[in-house]
Amino acid sequence: MHPAAREDASLIEETLGGNPLAFQLLVERYQERIFALIRHYTRNAVEVEDIAQDTFLKAYRKLEGFQRQSSFSTWLYRVAVNTALDFLKKAGRSPVQTVEDPEVLASPSSAERGPRIAAPDARMEREEVARITHAVLAELPEIFRTVLVLREFEDQSYQEMADLLGISIGTVESRLFRARARFKETLTRLYPEFAA
Amino acid sequence: MNLTCENARGLVPGYLDGELSSERSRPLREHLLDCRSCRDVAKEEKVIKRWFDQARASAASAEPVPAGFAARVARRAFAGDRGSAVPVASVDSAGEGAEARGTLLPFVLKSVLVAAGLLLALAVGIQQRELPQDDLRALPAAPWERPGAVPRESRPQGPEGAASADPAAAALAPDTRGEDEDQASEPRTDDAPR
Repeated sequence: MHPAAREDASLIEETLGGNPLAFQLLVERYQERIFALIRHYTRNAVEVEDIAQDTFLKAYRKLEGFQRQSSFSTWLYRVAVNTALDFLKKAGRSPVQTVEDPEVLASPSSAERGPRIAAPDARMEREEVARITHAVLAELPEIFRTVLVLREFEDQSYQEMADLLGISIGTVESRLFRARARFKETLTRLYPEFAA
Repeated sequence: MNLTCENARGLVPGYLDGELSSERSRPLREHLLDCRSCRDVAKEEKVIKRWFDQARASAASAEPVPAGFAARVARRAFAGDRGSAVPVASVDSAGEGAEARGTLLPFVLKSVLVAAGLLLALAVGIQQRELPQDDLRALPAAPWERPGAVPRESRPQGPEGAASADPAAAALAPDTRGEDEDQASEPRTDDAPR
């Protein structure tokens, strides 16, 4: 077992044994990553903290049911993503009320891929690129947004994403492909100046 | 293995992400060498990734986790708090400190409750003040208020006496009385379901 996983397992055991300090340490190990993940769903600092808090509280309540078939971090990420999406739905801010099922759709052809996209201008501030990128992400259906966030920002491997989302690696691949196509289409629609 | 364009394009993200095994990336590379259209798709995928690369660099400098967060969460978890992230109405207050949430929400709720109580008291006060004694006397007595033995003409005469003599007022009287009776019966002191 990986040392980090061993430490997680030990902290989980101690937490389940009633040691609050062990759970605190577990939270400290993952809080930065969970906050970073949630910031891709909302930029509001108050909401980020609320969702992060709910994530850890939910994780604590469900800790006994954690099967250890995936790593604790993967499991915790899943709790965080679900909590963030629930929150956005409650807030009526989820663009994901669409009931499309991209898995049944064919890969976009060249014609469907629309105009080409320009790379971010080298003179643009990183913050500006980030702002535009997040604005585009916020417009995407949740399944597309989530795979892009997990891959592009959280550096999750395809296997980790498959475990986290409960889908096959093949589905991860096709979903990412469609997600990037949709990202490009939305970017050129919202910001036509970036169409090449 | 010969790939179709559709299959090849589906592999492009994995190829660029370094997630394809050599068995899967080799035929894709061969396909890309031969197929200009798919090569363009791959180039564009790389451009899209550049957007994320820059955005990721910016995300790395995000604000830190609030101090004491882990200790607070652990305390709440062991206290049995189930948590409930309630969406805040104002989504534009991103610049506010996270600490503000802990004190602001209860304060607002309490303020609303106090304001509602004050408004209710004020409304009752105004209602009582706006019904001077003369007007009260002018109102038809409720059935339970009628002494029965007291003749109507023996009541104090005033403007209301003239009003009662007015045919128009007399025409309105039944309605007014009906309303008053309704009002009198409105406050409920029992526990009957409404």
